[in-house]
Amino acid sequence: MKNNSKLANFLVPVISILLAFVIGCVIMAVLGANPFVALQSLWIGAFGSLRNVGTTLARSTPLIFTSLCACFAYRCGVFNLGGEGQFLMGSIVCCYIATKSGIEGLPAILLCLLGGTAAGGAWALVAGLLKVYRNQNEMIITIMLNYVATLLMGVVYTNWLRDGSVPQTASVPDADKLSRLFGLRITSAFVIAIAVGLLIYYFLFYTSKGFQLRAVGLNMTAAEFNGFAVKRYILLSFIVSGAIAGLGGSAELLGTQFRLINGFGAGYGFDGVAMALIGQLHPLATILVAIFFAALRVGSTTMQAATGVPTSVSDIIQALVIVFTVAGLAMVKLPQFKAFLGRMADKTQKEAV
Amino acid sequence: MDEFLRMEHVSKRFGDFYANRDINLSIRKGEVHTLLGENGAGKSTLMNVLIGLYQPTEGTIYLNGQAVRIDSPAQAVRLGIGMVHQHFMLVEAMTVFENIILGDRNTKGIFINKEARKKEILELAERYGLDVELDKSITEIAVGAQQRVEILKALYRGAELLILDEPSAALTDIEVEGLFKIMRKLTEEGKSIIFISHKMREVLRISDRITILRAGEVVTTLERSQTDGQELANLMIGRELAPSHYGKVEDPGSPVIQLRSVDYHKDSKHAGLNGVSLTVGRGEIVGIAGVDGNGQSQLAQVVTGVLTPDAGEVDMKGSKVAQFTPHGFILESVSHIPEDRNKMGLIGNMSVKDNIVLKSTDSPEFSSARGYHLKKKAIRDYALKMQEKYDIRCTSIEQETRNLSGGNQQKVILARELEGHPDLLVAVHPTRGLDIGATRFVHDTMIEARDKGCGVLLISADFDEILEVSDRIVVMFEGQIMGVFSGKNPPIEEISLAMAGK
Repeated sequence: MKNNSKLANFLVPVISILLAFVIGCVIMAVLGANPFVALQSLWIGAFGSLRNVGTTLARSTPLIFTSLCACFAYRCGVFNLGGEGQFLMGSIVCCYIATKSGIEGLPAILLCLLGGTAAGGAWALVAGLLKVYRNQNEMIITIMLNYVATLLMGVVYTNWLRDGSVPQTASVPDADKLSRLFGLRITSAFVIAIAVGLLIYYFLFYTSKGFQLRAVGLNMTAAEFNGFAVKRYILLSFIVSGAIAGLGGSAELLGTQFRLINGFGAGYGFDGVAMALIGQLHPLATILVAIFFAALRVGSTTMQAATGVPTSVSDIIQALVIVFTVAGLAMVKLPQFKAFLGRMADKTQKEAV
Repeated sequence: MDEFLRMEHVSKRFGDFYANRDINLSIRKGEVHTLLGENGAGKSTLMNVLIGLYQPTEGTIYLNGQAVRIDSPAQAVRLGIGMVHQHFMLVEAMTVFENIILGDRNTKGIFINKEARKKEILELAERYGLDVELDKSITEIAVGAQQRVEILKALYRGAELLILDEPSAALTDIEVEGLFKIMRKLTEEGKSIIFISHKMREVLRISDRITILRAGEVVTTLERSQTDGQELANLMIGRELAPSHYGKVEDPGSPVIQLRSVDYHKDSKHAGLNGVSLTVGRGEIVGIAGVDGNGQSQLAQVVTGVLTPDAGEVDMKGSKVAQFTPHGFILESVSHIPEDRNKMGLIGNMSVKDNIVLKSTDSPEFSSARGYHLKKKAIRDYALKMQEKYDIRCTSIEQETRNLSGGNQQKVILARELEGHPDLLVAVHPTRGLDIGATRFVHDTMIEARDKGCGVLLISADFDEILEVSDRIVVMFEGQIMGVFSGKNPPIEEISLAMAGK
């Protein structure tokens, strides 16, 4: 039974991805393109050369941060939908430090990342306090706080930190930019993201506190009866997940975007939620999913240029992956499906005999 | 008097288990007929058969002399059978009026003639003395008033027979008086009432006839005028006392936990404690007997630190408890077998192994570097040892506990809670839902813990279990302690009366 459910957890996303591609191919064919050529150009665009790989990984970096943010919170039973707001708050504070502090170079980078991390954590803590002490629904609060953060960023780039006639902030100084790796678009931000993922993986599965946090996430009442400080874990999970998003926001600013501008970070929060779910809340699987989605996004431009299939077909495939995975995971939990699996197992056993 | 309803040889079987066996029951027009029985005696199943939720496995139901099939609750309503559930079935956001006409099958067409309906309902209410305010929403009215709405709803649908399931459980004394008046009025008008209650005082006051159920069968039906509380209590418990398998301890050691006049929500009869004083010594089992929902859950949660009492003192091994937290009580080596093993005891989506070490991963035995690195091998080895010692039947220690049987789930909890040699074990309904073998195992384990010097507080609605293992028996009723009895040659009759609040 255990093995079956583990297998299902792995198979559902894989089958969902395959199905999504099959439907994507049908759409491409209907549009008059050869699906195989289109898929090939999608692949080449994403992974065809070292340069493209670098671009894909760079594109995946903010998604890794926001999906780890969602993953960590959900592991503690907290539905943090505010990854985007926390991401933006991190980037706003980071932007202030980078452009206004007067320090430059490595100390500035460290201070920027630290400040962004703290800002993200503090922004999530607002929702955490309201949940723990006022019993408010964290989903609603975090979504609302996303709007607040987006609007605040608007004020920042149109007023407080506006640079010149265009509504955007000044670029961060060159000395504060994260270094590129091997001359590609990928930066050290990607390394930080992977490190964060590994750290979370270790914390959740190899430490006593991580074990207890997962217990809280799976059954709060039992965790309380067994003597765990449930409220403290919930607050902790808000702060840490917000901090991860905040770090992501600062890394995105220092590594890729360099300035705050309309649309900065838009959509990353909810993308992260979907990726964490597809990755079954496993930090390492979540990273792979984020890279996969980034590849679809990067590759779709090449696909459009080469075959005329619009990039929105790639969006459709991404959406279908989410729909199929969520539906599939619900399906394998159905008793009828479990009974079916049981019958199949019996049958194969008999045949083996 | 005319007979309204008759059940003949009705049985209801679930698998091999008879919840009701060969029930014969007759309800006359204009009588209050009480069903009396312990938890699990089969009252609820029988009523579910009557209102069409279950189909009887065998037997026939007659209404006014005609055999009927009741295959749905809607059919029961058409036949004039209405039920007021213990937990009301009202839509809280709607008004009293809307709740009463909700789902009424006489509603035809799109529009409802509200004024005519209201007049009808008010006439009905007046006739039976049911005082309700039609335009208030359910959330605005008191519990007693909500109950009147339920009764009115049933009457409006044409009920001739009303089933009242523990109707007084949630009411204040004054509201109970009001309810009894209404019940009298209803029977005067020829309606019949099936009254389900555990409270002897009320049963004796309001009933015309009383049917006693035990283990799914009818023991007997008595006229109220020809019986008394003592006889009813005996019939309800009703067994020759089988001698206990276990030796009883008569002089326990020093107190492990001592409660002095502890109050918790003391005005709540069914979820509170009122001046509870209680001592559990080392090496004894104190059994709390009583019908479910008389404050036992709250008692268990106070002595495990989950709830903080409103007043009174709790001494743990001689020193006063200042702060009530589960963690603090665990540090004092209090173990807890909670009443709901899935909700409170186990993390269902975690493995047997993880649940066994749930409380102790911080200890150096299972993690190094102050908890920063789990010793997975040590945890595995320990879990395998416990699996063998407590005979936990699972496909592997990696199996999720939610997929285990109830008995094996309980063994996982026992392995976790008893292995550290606790000073106090609080066990709440520890064998509920278990088969005989697993029950015996749990009892043996508790006795073994006692003999090692652990104080055990056993809370159970199963009277047999209390008699079997308790060295002292404490009876609780409506949040109060009704009496303390010796577990050796216990006075069954006195105890059963105390359980019924006399």
